[in-house]
Amino acid sequence: MHTSHPRLPGELTFMALVVLFSAFMLWASYSISQFTSITSPGVFPMLCAAAMLVTGLMSLVKTARARLVLDDGEGWVQQLVRKLFPLQLVLFTGLIVAYMLLLEVLGFLVASYLFLVISMPVLGSRRIGLNFLVSLVTLAVIFVVFRTAFSVVLPAGSLVGPYLPELLK
Amino acid sequence: MMEALGYFLMSWLDIRMLALTALGTFAGIYIGAIPGLSVTMAVSILISFTFKWDVNEALALISGIYLGGVYGGSRTAILLNIPGAPSAIATGLDGYPLAKRGEAGQAIGLTTVISVYGGFIGILALAVAAPAVSSLALKFGPREYLLLALWGILLVGSLSGESLSKGIFSGALGALIACVGLDPMTGEQRLTFGSLQLSAGISYIAAMIGFFGVAEVIAQIHDLKLKAIKQNVSKIIPPWGLVRKHLGLATRTSTIGVVVGALPGAGGDIAALMAYDHAKRSVKNPSRPFGEGAYEGLVAPESANNAAVGGAYVPMLTLGIPGDAVTAVIIGALYIHGLKPGPMLMIETPHLFWFVVGSLCLANIFLLIFGLTGIKIFAKIVETPKPILLPLILVLSAVGAYAINNNPVDVYWMLGFGLLGYLLKMYGFQVGPVILGMILGPIMDRSYRQAMLSTGEDVGLFVTEFFTTPLSAILLAALVFTVVSQTGWYKRLRNR
Repeated sequence: MHTSHPRLPGELTFMALVVLFSAFMLWASYSISQFTSITSPGVFPMLCAAAMLVTGLMSLVKTARARLVLDDGEGWVQQLVRKLFPLQLVLFTGLIVAYMLLLEVLGFLVASYLFLVISMPVLGSRRIGLNFLVSLVTLAVIFVVFRTAFSVVLPAGSLVGPYLPELLK
Repeated sequence: MMEALGYFLMSWLDIRMLALTALGTFAGIYIGAIPGLSVTMAVSILISFTFKWDVNEALALISGIYLGGVYGGSRTAILLNIPGAPSAIATGLDGYPLAKRGEAGQAIGLTTVISVYGGFIGILALAVAAPAVSSLALKFGPREYLLLALWGILLVGSLSGESLSKGIFSGALGALIACVGLDPMTGEQRLTFGSLQLSAGISYIAAMIGFFGVAEVIAQIHDLKLKAIKQNVSKIIPPWGLVRKHLGLATRTSTIGVVVGALPGAGGDIAALMAYDHAKRSVKNPSRPFGEGAYEGLVAPESANNAAVGGAYVPMLTLGIPGDAVTAVIIGALYIHGLKPGPMLMIETPHLFWFVVGSLCLANIFLLIFGLTGIKIFAKIVETPKPILLPLILVLSAVGAYAINNNPVDVYWMLGFGLLGYLLKMYGFQVGPVILGMILGPIMDRSYRQAMLSTGEDVGLFVTEFFTTPLSAILLAALVFTVVSQTGWYKRLRNR
């Protein structure tokens, strides 16, 4: 996690993006109603964006002043990968993105099952049989509980839905 | 009076609500205990499922989860030296050394009893203070609400993070996100960039699940390799003498918990750290030196964080201002159920207030029962490997986000906020103020414009009235002090 003084790899770039985003939002807020009135709908968003811009700039300056400490023999990119984006994290995040995108297509049951059985070994759970079993049991519990107790209608999937029995839709 | 008692006992006498409170408390203990699962995360995900429920049932469940979750964090802090929740950080300082001495059972037992004691003090404070605060709040005008909301964001920004500027940035970002959509006063489009999807605004539940669920899960990947150390758990029920010896300290630290919990934006985690600090300063002869297994080091934070729950409900129910991130989420739930937290809530729906007090009391009793039983099974469950746990949380988060409107767009928002939340966390920003900003932003927007309109858009008069109205002046002083106390100048002055 973040430590107070040394700069993390990529932190300066992130802070610069934060400032740019804040400036863009200030412009977008100004565009709502410009300075037509002091109580116009755009005033509060402008105040928020201005606060973001000022504090973002303060953080940017503070970050620029901090030193980036690289471990022996390690480059900037290597440290960025190790500390912020290790392979496991990138793979898992990719799986999350794919899962969310496929939820509507494959439906909740199929997409979630695939996500669970693939992501568990990616995170280091080597007992494949256990992964399959845990995924199956917990999905069954989630499906039954949320369909009955919480009345949540989960997506059946445009691709898979038509072939599912009524009970599983 | 009899009516109030009837509402107070509602969750005690209705078997369904009794069961929901018990279930909530039980689940809360486990959710709070499992590192990586937070009470805020659980409540955020849960709220999206309880839309269609009766509000009382939803509140009974949430009260249990909240109280159980705040307590649950202590168990893993004691057994594994990994605080299950931020409010249990201080608990591990003495709890884990106690476990290493083979006194884990006794430590858990004492923590349970003291947590329940602190919880009751918090609930008592809520029952007594809320009606008084509510009467006072009726005198609040838009100017006071503006200051109070601003103070809330500043407090959470300054107390829970290491950098005030980053805290303010997060709060302002949340307030800006809340502006997206149609302006509630004029119906004008704000920050929608011509998108129909954005015109409906951004669901703060999706944002909450993203920030507290997805971001937390991704961040947990850095700690996948942390291994649990097995502890010997026996003799759970603490001797009465041990409890009695610490009641004085627990009363003092519970009071700290109530006050800190009631401050807008400050919650159990800060209360626990302040209480631990108080114990270190005030207890002359601890059972052992602090940090080496002093019972006082367990009693202080655990009584304070549970007392903070009752405290946090005070501004939430009386002013509509969240006491911490969990109450920010609960406010969202109340809005969804058509209720408007604020001074009028106590007048228009007093039954709801007494119902909440009753549910919290009941949850506290369940906490005592569940806290002193099933520790051995518990020790097994918290060892669930993260490679199995994290994907499951993700699936639950996706279901939660989808359930808001049965719309995949909310799932994409959740994902987006989750990824943003991860980066913010890694670069030292707090995500709590973002959620607070989303709740407080609309209050500030509306209050600012109403206050300004009441002066006929006279900026001079608008500013002057902050100093001439006593309530505004007091709140302004508190706000200024919050900012000044974070400056290097003030810290240097204090150290002199």
